[in-house]
Amino acid sequence: MSGLSTSRRRLIQGAGVGAGAVVAVGAGFAGGRASADAADIPATDDGELVDLNVEHAFYTGSHQAGIETPQQRHTVFMTFDLTTTSKQDLQVLLARWSAGIAQLQAGLPVGSVQPTNPSGVPGDTGEAYDLGPASLTVTLGLGPGVFDDRFGLADKKPKLLADLPQLPSDRLRPELTGGDLSLQACADDPQVAYHAIRDLARLGRGTVNTRWTVMGFGRASAGKGQTTPRNLMGFKDGTRNVKEPAQIDEHVWLDGTDGEQAWMSGGSYMVARKIQMNIEIWDSSDITNQEQVFGRTKGEGAPLSGKKEFDTPDFHKVVDGKPAIPPTSHVALAAPENNDGIRILRRGYNYTDGINDLGFLDAGLLFVAYMNDPDSFVKLQTKLGGSDKLNEYIAHIGSGIFAVPPAPKKGHYLGEALFA
Amino acid sequence: MSTASRRAAVSLVAAVSLASLAACGSSNDDASDAGKGGSATTAATKGVSHVAVTMASGSNGDACTPSTTSVPAGPVTFSVKNESATGLTELELLQDQKIIGEKESLAPGLPAASFTLTLGGGTYQIYCPGAATETIDFKVTGQASATPTGSAATLLAQGASDYGKYVTTQVDQMVTSVQKLQQDVDSGNLSAAQKQYGEARPFYEKIESDVDGFVLPGFKPTDNKGNLDYLVDMRASNLVPAVGWHGFHAVERDIFANQKITAKTKQLAAELTANVQKLAQLSTTLTYKPEDLANGAAGLLEEVQANKISGEEEKYSHIDLVDFAANVEGAQQAFAYLKPGLTAVDATLTATIGQRFDTVNAMLDTYRDPAEIGGYKRYTAELKKTDANKLSQTVQALQDSLAHLAEKVATA
Repeated sequence: MSGLSTSRRRLIQGAGVGAGAVVAVGAGFAGGRASADAADIPATDDGELVDLNVEHAFYTGSHQAGIETPQQRHTVFMTFDLTTTSKQDLQVLLARWSAGIAQLQAGLPVGSVQPTNPSGVPGDTGEAYDLGPASLTVTLGLGPGVFDDRFGLADKKPKLLADLPQLPSDRLRPELTGGDLSLQACADDPQVAYHAIRDLARLGRGTVNTRWTVMGFGRASAGKGQTTPRNLMGFKDGTRNVKEPAQIDEHVWLDGTDGEQAWMSGGSYMVARKIQMNIEIWDSSDITNQEQVFGRTKGEGAPLSGKKEFDTPDFHKVVDGKPAIPPTSHVALAAPENNDGIRILRRGYNYTDGINDLGFLDAGLLFVAYMNDPDSFVKLQTKLGGSDKLNEYIAHIGSGIFAVPPAPKKGHYLGEALFA
Repeated sequence: MSTASRRAAVSLVAAVSLASLAACGSSNDDASDAGKGGSATTAATKGVSHVAVTMASGSNGDACTPSTTSVPAGPVTFSVKNESATGLTELELLQDQKIIGEKESLAPGLPAASFTLTLGGGTYQIYCPGAATETIDFKVTGQASATPTGSAATLLAQGASDYGKYVTTQVDQMVTSVQKLQQDVDSGNLSAAQKQYGEARPFYEKIESDVDGFVLPGFKPTDNKGNLDYLVDMRASNLVPAVGWHGFHAVERDIFANQKITAKTKQLAAELTANVQKLAQLSTTLTYKPEDLANGAAGLLEEVQANKISGEEEKYSHIDLVDFAANVEGAQQAFAYLKPGLTAVDATLTATIGQRFDTVNAMLDTYRDPAEIGGYKRYTAELKKTDANKLSQTVQALQDSLAHLAEKVATA
């Protein structure tokens, strides 16, 4: 295996600049940059070397990967409807998906790519063969439908799992909303992420139908140690994200208290929103307007009350008789200071769907957030949907909520406790 | 089970309309050849049993009522009379998912149509799609037909060989039905021609993957002028201008889009008759290996995905769901003939495929509409918009499992 592993080893440069991107770095994410071209690369790229050999374990028995994991550069998110009413079918699906995800995260195919039998149908579709694990994580979510009257699992329902209420400014399309199950694949190679979802959808066929999907390129949130990326509006996104382990413990993970289902201990809740941007309209608005909408400067990403990106916003600062950060700016409305300390872990991606029927760019943000109480999102979005200056330029068109069970130990599978 | 007594010659249309037609190769109604090929029953000495099935509308929807649900093994004549059930058009006798005998186009008021089968002991089902109770158990007492025995490979080979008779029956019915279409076109009766178009189409769709490879003598394989599939089934979207448009869909365009029967339409219909007759002749040379059935079944489902769910196949008549159901029936029959051998090879896969056929058929049942041409709802743009997703995902689940058939039977 070691020979194979070596031949798979490829490194790509974070920003994709510099011809000498392939460099001799030991291993590991965020390995130091040792390229002779270092001077050509903007300073903000520190720690953004990507090693496509990085592999995330599946059978940890604690949290699912893909939440606290340093955010990968690409995603494919898909939700599914269960077409069966058999509890056993659901059980088999979760067991097969678990085994499949374990294989995929290890960079292995889920079946034979090249069957020896000439009439054989390849078990794995093959497009990620020898691409390496590329930090793939696949995170499974269970929607409210799993616990409706079809499967007799009502008594196992996570306490806070319920369809999101109608929120201000929602323009949700039914075909982009809901789902009984969700899979979010994230990887540093988009083809690895796509392959994972494609083959898992294939494994599930006959038990689940596909419902909606978003393919995201370019992360739009930062985790611990990562530089803050930009959304398609050109602004840094995720500067104040939940990053520190202690914060994540406090705001993201369920710990078996609060009357929550014991089997969800180590799990979380996930909210996904497909947010369409009116790109052309945004692009024609002036810089002052853009910065007032976000409450930050565009280049540095500093709060309008400060100078540097990580300066703590001062919502009381007044300049020329007006608040430096407009109260209806995105930063002001979403800040924990103004929301009783509410925080959520964002893990979003930019997406594009090509060109819409008006000839405009069809693109936006796949907003994905993890939290230990979905009401955190409801409270924030109620406020944002009501007054955010950004609403002029965006529309929430897709939505889903899912309970994210903890990861299984070896020999077990995701959601096994449902069938105990 | 009785592979030998599989199939009486069953004509498409009620016997009354057949009389004037020069049926081409098809056996007559009531002239059973079903006992040929080694039925193990000895019931012939006991005389012919008779089962009268009455279709009638009632307070609880349409009902399909047999005069008896138990007969002794041996020759059995089913006569089916539709008294008043506008929702029922078809009756099948099934055993283990295989169609043993069937009658279609059973309109109220027409004389009783009948078919005779030689049945071995066992449990069968009378299937009346659209009835309040669709499936009625039918018991044949006495000695069962010899259960096929032997290795999986032997069983598969036997099934493949028997399947050839299914293809022959469909081809013969197609010829008869296309002749009737030509007759309706010649008589200038537009609504009769439209209705008959819906009757004639399914036969080709059930067996298309078996008969789509014929090239007429003297033509190169790449020349569509000699490609029978092109000449019979070409759609506007795949037209080769140099060869021109022929076949079912050219007739479809005239009678559904143009709503007119012209001299050219009559010429097209006559040419179609001649071509399906050629096809019937050529199909007698076909032999079948188990993997042919497996690949053919998968091919029919690909047809569903590629051309029916898109609404491309029946662009003018919108009877895509009729073709869809025929593709599925053809695939299911191929599967059913492989089933005895396949069960020995992989019982789990066999069960899965069987269940998924059930799911697809249950879905298709929801689209039945006896008032429409061909007996299914018209596949309009609106229906496509709301239902195409469900239709295609349900078929894909079947197709994924069916895709493993060829591998299983080839290595058996």
